[in-house]
Amino acid sequence: MGRATAAVAALLAVLGLAAACSVGGPASTLDEVRDSGVLRVGTEGTYTPFSYHDPATNDLTGYDIEVITAVADRLGAKPEFVEAPFDALFASLVSDRFDVVANQVTRNPEREGKYALSAGYTFSEGVIITRAADSSISELADLKGKTTAQSSTSNWAGVAKEAGAEVEAVEGFTQAVTLVKQGRVDATVNDNLAALEYFKTTQDASVRVAAPTGDSSEQVFALRQDETELRDAINSSLRDLQADGTLARISDKYFGQDVSRGEAATQTAEQPAERQSTWQLVKDSAGPMALATVKATLPLTLISFVLGLAIALVVALMRLSSVPLLAPLARVYVSLIRGTPLLVQLFLIFYGLPALGLTFNPFTAAVIAFSLNVGGYAAEVIRSAILSVPKGQWEAASTIGMGYATTLRRVILPQAARTAVPPLSNTLISLVKDTSLASVVLVTELLRVAQVAAAPTFQFFALYGVAALYYWVICLVLSFGQQRVERRLERFVAR
Amino acid sequence: MSGSHLVEVTGLHKRFGDHEVLRGIDFTIDAGTVTVLIGSSGSGKTTVLRCLNGLEVPEEGRVRIADVTLDFATRPGKRDLGRLRAQSAMVFQAHNLFPHLSVLQNVTIGPTVVQRRPEAEVREEALRLLDQVGLADKAGQHPFQLSGGQQQRVGIARALAQRPQLMLFDEPTSALDPELVGEVLAVMRDLAAEGWTMAVVTHEIRFAQSVADQVLFLDGGVVLEHGPPAQVLADPQQPRTRTFLKRILDPI
Repeated sequence: MGRATAAVAALLAVLGLAAACSVGGPASTLDEVRDSGVLRVGTEGTYTPFSYHDPATNDLTGYDIEVITAVADRLGAKPEFVEAPFDALFASLVSDRFDVVANQVTRNPEREGKYALSAGYTFSEGVIITRAADSSISELADLKGKTTAQSSTSNWAGVAKEAGAEVEAVEGFTQAVTLVKQGRVDATVNDNLAALEYFKTTQDASVRVAAPTGDSSEQVFALRQDETELRDAINSSLRDLQADGTLARISDKYFGQDVSRGEAATQTAEQPAERQSTWQLVKDSAGPMALATVKATLPLTLISFVLGLAIALVVALMRLSSVPLLAPLARVYVSLIRGTPLLVQLFLIFYGLPALGLTFNPFTAAVIAFSLNVGGYAAEVIRSAILSVPKGQWEAASTIGMGYATTLRRVILPQAARTAVPPLSNTLISLVKDTSLASVVLVTELLRVAQVAAAPTFQFFALYGVAALYYWVICLVLSFGQQRVERRLERFVAR
Repeated sequence: MSGSHLVEVTGLHKRFGDHEVLRGIDFTIDAGTVTVLIGSSGSGKTTVLRCLNGLEVPEEGRVRIADVTLDFATRPGKRDLGRLRAQSAMVFQAHNLFPHLSVLQNVTIGPTVVQRRPEAEVREEALRLLDQVGLADKAGQHPFQLSGGQQQRVGIARALAQRPQLMLFDEPTSALDPELVGEVLAVMRDLAAEGWTMAVVTHEIRFAQSVADQVLFLDGGVVLEHGPPAQVLADPQQPRTRTFLKRILDPI
């Protein structure tokens, strides 16, 4: 007895110490939210009807958006939304890019262990969606041996896997349903709310709810594990919003019933949402996509290319240098850049470096990753271009007294440029298209805007088609520029 | 006595890997004279020339040009090589003009970029030099638009623009079509008449006969025979010199 008491006391002391450590440092996040009046919220922005862009106004809206806005309001703050694919939300949360995830996060033991979870604000049950004509699935067990499409980190992927299904990773619910319709997968598992909303807006008869999974679930806000203070403040706000009927009102607006309490809804709401014509949607999206091209895709490409060329020149000269260690160092760099996927490099810089205390904003992180990547590829191009200039040019420059740097700038590089331009143009054109990868580190560039527009409307072909067209036009212009530069550089060469 | 020589070369040794190209070279060049280096290929004559401006660094020996002396017993630094190099200018077999620059820019780039002389003055001098080599009307063209002989004459103008103490010519006519050789040799003859100190590696024996003050015959990395052309070319003492001259003058 005495020993047990002592152990408990010791444990409490340790916990107290730990708590003191975690709170004792800088001001708590709750205070920061109150002081700055800003609650940073991570959300998908492509998950109808919880978090999506209204096709008419392009404003971010949805059930989760309205609930977290009401919660923030109670805390005396305004929400500031950061949009990212579902799979990136938790990594971004942990690397302090926002304070809370509002995206129908389902409570489960794993997440309980890793994050601070709020009280539930949606209660739902799982359903299996199949093609209407497919009668092979009538209960969860029938998923065995079938293929389902799921967000790889969503809990429904776990449900499907446990039932014996193969899981194809997709970005969100809308893509999953599309894959079902296209017959690329057999089913998708999600909550009835998403299904309800889907049938309400699309009137789609080609897919149906085949069976309930038998799981009921509770959706919560997720915070970093040590943010219990902020979590508690959010919980108390949720209680207030429940008591004064705000949650019921928001819920009713999206689902025709109150899903913010224990009983889940299964009935279909009546009125179909008005559907935009594809043409109208493309017209509405073309502007924002062009804007994203000008504000993100092009600057990202050009800045990264210029910085990348500077890196490449330094690395190429290191490789050609006779100073010990420089050449092997440069070789390792080139090998690392060329031997690892660009996406991995991007993830390392954006999600990995914060662990070492280096946090860059999305655009900067993307610029760093792309510059380093271009640097690795272009270094070899520049090196071989320099080697292609005859040795006599170095000797002639040297006999008229030029040093290394002057020779390089005045004699060698202008001639090497001619050899280097065609392969460097390839690098540039690849880079234009590679910038689409920046969408996974929260940069709102061209592809990301297309995704956002496509998600609630299911117009993948039209919108990704427009995005493809934009990329193509950029590359056409660049190819034209390449020809002009080549012609300019060929001026002084006998043919 | 030695004080009056512009160039003094003593005990030059140079090896490429296992091959010893120069095995103790000694000679002097007086200011205002023309020295022609002859010898079969592999005899080391071009290497000697390239040791004079540091394009090759010998392992042993001394080179003095005017007041700059380098003793190669210790490997010279960049700065020392630069000082030696500044004493001379070179005309290459393959002209090595800068193809991306105009004829005029080829001539002015050294004086303006390296010597930092005022641009207007350099330009005026460059145009005069181009006129001297008969190419005043080509100033705005690019090297690829010129014939081989014209390119080589631009190379000479570029070298002259350096205002060197010593002009080095490395087989300036060997890469030219035979009918273009004359125009280049004529320019070189004029330079000699003007009093330029010149060291010329060439196979043009008749040029050597009429223009040279001194002929060096190199064989196997040493100076086998040297003296005025009337002696070395007309009355060679060494059998190897005789064989070489016979082969050059009467190849069939």
